[in-house]
Amino acid sequence: MIAGSIRPYLYLTALLIIALLLSVAVGVVFIPPGIVARMLAALVPGSTIPADWPQSFDAIVYQIRLPHAILIALTGAALAGSGTVYQGVFRNPLADPYLIGVASGAGLGAVIGLSTTWPTRGNSLYTVPIAAFIGAMLTIAIVYNLARVGRTVPTTTLILAGVAVSAFATSLSSFLMLRSNEELRRAFSWLLGGAIMGGWAPVIAMLPYVAVGLASILLSGHTLNVLQFGEEQAQQLGLPVERVKLLLVLAASLTTAAAVAFAGIIGFIGLIVPHLVRFSLGPDYRRLVPLSILAGSSALLLADTLARMVLSPQSVPVGIVTALAGAPFFLWLLRRSKDQAYW
Amino acid sequence: MASISARPLVFYELDSTDVNAPYTSGPGTFIDLLISMAGAENLGHTLQGEWVQVSVEELIRRNPDYILLGDYVWGGIKPEDVAERPGWDAISAVKEGKVLPFDDNLVSRPGPRLVDGLEALAKALHPDVFQ
Repeated sequence: MIAGSIRPYLYLTALLIIALLLSVAVGVVFIPPGIVARMLAALVPGSTIPADWPQSFDAIVYQIRLPHAILIALTGAALAGSGTVYQGVFRNPLADPYLIGVASGAGLGAVIGLSTTWPTRGNSLYTVPIAAFIGAMLTIAIVYNLARVGRTVPTTTLILAGVAVSAFATSLSSFLMLRSNEELRRAFSWLLGGAIMGGWAPVIAMLPYVAVGLASILLSGHTLNVLQFGEEQAQQLGLPVERVKLLLVLAASLTTAAAVAFAGIIGFIGLIVPHLVRFSLGPDYRRLVPLSILAGSSALLLADTLARMVLSPQSVPVGIVTALAGAPFFLWLLRRSKDQAYW
Repeated sequence: MASISARPLVFYELDSTDVNAPYTSGPGTFIDLLISMAGAENLGHTLQGEWVQVSVEELIRRNPDYILLGDYVWGGIKPEDVAERPGWDAISAVKEGKVLPFDDNLVSRPGPRLVDGLEALAKALHPDVFQ
């Protein structure tokens, strides 16, 4: 699976570890990264590290920050990984994890979930994520079937159907939000990418989907390379193009839907991280896929740490930070490398 | 009123839609003034803004003696729900069972009923000396 030089993998893994330590260290109470490292090492079975830190750190690190950091890292990995796959399958540099309706479908699901559970919200913690997940998967099923032409699903039709269904779902959720005069804050904060649940429950709930999705994405590097010749060429090279496309879109959408359901809609990571990796390390998908996954989790962790710092002790939805910081950075890179056509 | 020995630290919860950062009443709000008059210290008093979100980390750091659930009546939030929130069991109010439902109707609108609210607050926060 590891193609080419191993060095970028090492750098990005080191970056991920630093981002993880930083994310757990920073907050209302600053916990020195040294202590964080020891607290994390103490989790390893059989370790003999004495718990000589203040007792309040236990709750803050083990129950609040660590599960949050892992949720964010998984989300970043999921978004960047599926973004790479979408860009590869559609051979379109603008493709991102939300292209064929994952975000708007999930948004509609979440808004429906919120408006139907109100006013009894006692046990509704899970209704939003589950409704969002169902909304996303239903939207993709509808889009994929609408885009079918005979026995094939042409890429252009798929994107067009996705955009149209997205617009439909978005306006439907806007309408529902306008009609309900309560509980808008929660829906809004979710739509901007706020993780509205805490603790380990959301991590455990999303892990199986993201793990299966990422594993299939990781195996797809070679296939994506072949697809870059164009669909006809790939077919002639012996690739069952239609089946491969369906599997790849399904895997990427499942991964995104799981991440979106629990972490909210976070823009830009899935678009720019694959481009960043492509800018710096070339277009070979066998490297692009695993490196984007690594870089995506670090990028989102850093953005989330920033989001929790700027207005401390309150936090900004991370989706705002990824777009505000990501867009200018991306444009700067684009201008800098405009002489070389990298795509 | 009988004299009180200590002013307990109180977290007044307005809304917990975001369990990682519930809303509370900041300095100058009448909930803030009433808690102070009832012989306690409002956790939100040192925050900025009137109706503000406070992160659960800040709550663990400040470690309030009491949590009053102002979202009990309108939102159906019960003390058991609070104990189940991740990280909240490190707060002494949760450990010692001092998470109390509170009728927010008594303190959320200005009017003569605020006096009843003050009485209810004093009764909840100083059960030993309240007569």
